[in-house]
Amino acid sequence: MVGIRRLIAGSAGTLLVGMFAGFVISSAVGVFIQDSGLFGASGESPIARAYMLGLLQRDPNSIVGIRPNQSIAQRAAELQGADSSRTTTSIQPLSLTYIGGATVGAYSVHIYAVDLRNSQGVDQFFPLALTVSGGKVVRSE
Amino acid sequence: MNETRAVVTLSLFAIGILTGVVLHTFVDKGPAENPYPALPKVEEPRAAHDVVAAIGADDAQSLSRLVDSTMLNDLDMALQPITDVRTTKFVGAVESEGRLLSAYVVTGKTTEGIDFVVGFVLRIANDQVVGVN
Repeated sequence: MVGIRRLIAGSAGTLLVGMFAGFVISSAVGVFIQDSGLFGASGESPIARAYMLGLLQRDPNSIVGIRPNQSIAQRAAELQGADSSRTTTSIQPLSLTYIGGATVGAYSVHIYAVDLRNSQGVDQFFPLALTVSGGKVVRSE
Repeated sequence: MNETRAVVTLSLFAIGILTGVVLHTFVDKGPAENPYPALPKVEEPRAAHDVVAAIGADDAQSLSRLVDSTMLNDLDMALQPITDVRTTKFVGAVESEGRLLSAYVVTGKTTEGIDFVVGFVLRIANDQVVGVN
């Protein structure tokens, strides 16, 4: 009985270690492929894309989990700003282009070009460089 | 008996690896769909290339001739916190109605000696660098 239990525990352990190794290897290979642009990968981070879409759609709630923690007052002020800009101005995004990026250690940089038309009908074309670390956008400029 | 055990253990490990890879494909979702059109990439503009070459070569004299003082200040801000540039990499350029953005990634060390990466973009108009973001 003890022998069978030990056999099952050992087998489950081996299987779990293998699963962990497979997950880590697959993750590392994925990052390498994304960064190197192999197989047509753009290298774009899902976090950076989500952040850009949240910005363009003026929806601070959608990006609250992927940027550094802010105080409640900062978050409230941001929601106020987003509400007033939604009601008073109409900004029409014309294009969102991922230009490229790179990763060094725990930090990755993702650069976008944004083309939008403001309420006066003037087109604005500007870049945004996002620094992503630990699953969050830690810098945007 | 020992050989059988080794084969079973290795097989279990291999099955585990495969399961981990399959699990990763379900967990790791790619970027969300971009609802906006994307602009086509263009070649690196010559003027931007010269500026970034001067940065990469740590050639302050050439850089001082290529861009004005306002842009040097903006460049300084964009490179923060890197003080010692090690590599520069052109990642792409896009154009919209004659306005061109050329993007770069710079790696280097901070004053504390920590490896860091920053991105910056040069604005080009009429074959000249007219801004730094």
